[in-house]
Amino acid sequence: MTVENLTVYRESYAAVQNVSFSLDAGTDTAIVGPNGAGKSTLVQALLGILPRQSGDIFVLGQALNRKGSLPSTVREKLAYLPQQFLFDRRIPITVEELVGLGWDSPGLRLPWLGGRQRFHQVRQALARVDAAHLRSQPISRLSGGEMKRVLLAYCLVRPRSLLILDEAPAGLDIQSESEFYQLLYQLKQEQGWAILQVSHDLDMVRRHCDRVLCLNRTLRCQGVPDVALSPENLVAAYGNERSPYHHSH
Amino acid sequence: MSFSAEIARVIDLFQLPFMHRALIGGVLTGATGGLLGSFAVLRQLSFFSDTLGHSALLGISLGVVFGVNPTLVLLPFAVVFALGVSYLLEKTRIWTDALLNIVYSSSLASAIIILSFVGQYKGGLNNLLFGDILAIRPGDLVFSSILLGICIVFISLTLRTQMLVTLHEELAMARGISVSTHRMIFTTLLALVVAISIKAIGVLLISAFVVTPACTAQLMTGKFSHYVLISAMIGAVSAVGGMVLSAFFDLPSGPSIVMTQLSLFFLAASFPYLRKLAV
Repeated sequence: MTVENLTVYRESYAAVQNVSFSLDAGTDTAIVGPNGAGKSTLVQALLGILPRQSGDIFVLGQALNRKGSLPSTVREKLAYLPQQFLFDRRIPITVEELVGLGWDSPGLRLPWLGGRQRFHQVRQALARVDAAHLRSQPISRLSGGEMKRVLLAYCLVRPRSLLILDEAPAGLDIQSESEFYQLLYQLKQEQGWAILQVSHDLDMVRRHCDRVLCLNRTLRCQGVPDVALSPENLVAAYGNERSPYHHSH
Repeated sequence: MSFSAEIARVIDLFQLPFMHRALIGGVLTGATGGLLGSFAVLRQLSFFSDTLGHSALLGISLGVVFGVNPTLVLLPFAVVFALGVSYLLEKTRIWTDALLNIVYSSSLASAIIILSFVGQYKGGLNNLLFGDILAIRPGDLVFSSILLGICIVFISLTLRTQMLVTLHEELAMARGISVSTHRMIFTTLLALVVAISIKAIGVLLISAFVVTPACTAQLMTGKFSHYVLISAMIGAVSAVGGMVLSAFFDLPSGPSIVMTQLSLFFLAASFPYLRKLAV
């Protein structure tokens, strides 16, 4: 992914301004910054969910046009988990149906077409995240940790090149968060995923990520964690807000 | 009258052509309402469908004032109105239920004022409010059948997309789905269903056809595809049950169908408790 001079407006102000960076295949890049720094805005603009004011975005070599569209072959290589992935647990949908949505390509098709292959892929993905036993469960019955595993199966059900996670483990306790990251990085090794993730957990970023983008409307610094997360750079990105984000476990 | 004589009377009643039409019309309307309602409820559009129902009265009153067949005015009016309200909901910062309340009450007030200028509306305000399923004509059945067919084809071909849009709009957009286009098509279909069903069901009861079967289905299954099918089936079955109830006890048909829907809802809600008692 390559981003050049990206500026995104939210209502009347520039939430993200003149941001440029690139991601290499198979690397893990974290976007860090204080609340309101434009991290989620940046991610949504990269996916074409939010329109951009100016700049260019190339995903897997293809330009994201002004309307936010990409060729479907490129879209299928991306997986995205939104911030906290909050949705109404009362919606009647089973784990198998949810993971199956990760397999399906959008567009007109009869719902029963490709059912066998879909079923097989969903079962494999669920087995890989140790959630095969949850296949028939409605999502309303899942714990927070189980839900995150199911969402990783949603990403895994089709071969992907890039995972974009917006604070994916939010809402989990420390133990479940640790298990989530362990599984995520096992899968990354196996699948060769590149990951771009928004995170508040600087210790996790130091341990796992190859590169860091420090964002506070503009890109304040970028580089390997040891350099980008130096005290001077953190003060430049966070100001006095830095301390609440530094915790170890 | 003995019970067997009563049954014979009801069977005779259902031999009459207007009862055939009412039964078929009820099944078509119930199934279509249940089908679209399954998505409308999950997308929190229940009050929106109620607002559409009440605004239909404004469309009818405009037709009456301009001397045009109210049914012909109602269809385009309902679609334009629904899309206009959807646009307002997206663009303004007013809370959804507050905005819908403003639209709902003001359209109802405008309709009553307009109808007061024309004097006694020959269709009867009572019929508009509560509907008259027994007055369904063959042409209405053709419209309802075509609309149900369109809804089945649209939902079947876009089922996975509709599921993703219902579950999480942002996730759907990240998959390259044009959420606004799907929302617009769905709103248009919902508006057409409401407009076509007004004659049979009435302004006040139409939202029950959209909301109640879906809520009952939600209590009965945790699987999305089953939920959609069950909701449509409950809509159709309630119509048959309500018509039979209405024939037996000489009750108004529309309200009888709604009471049947409500009974099924209570049955589904109490089923887990009944099962516990049985064990």
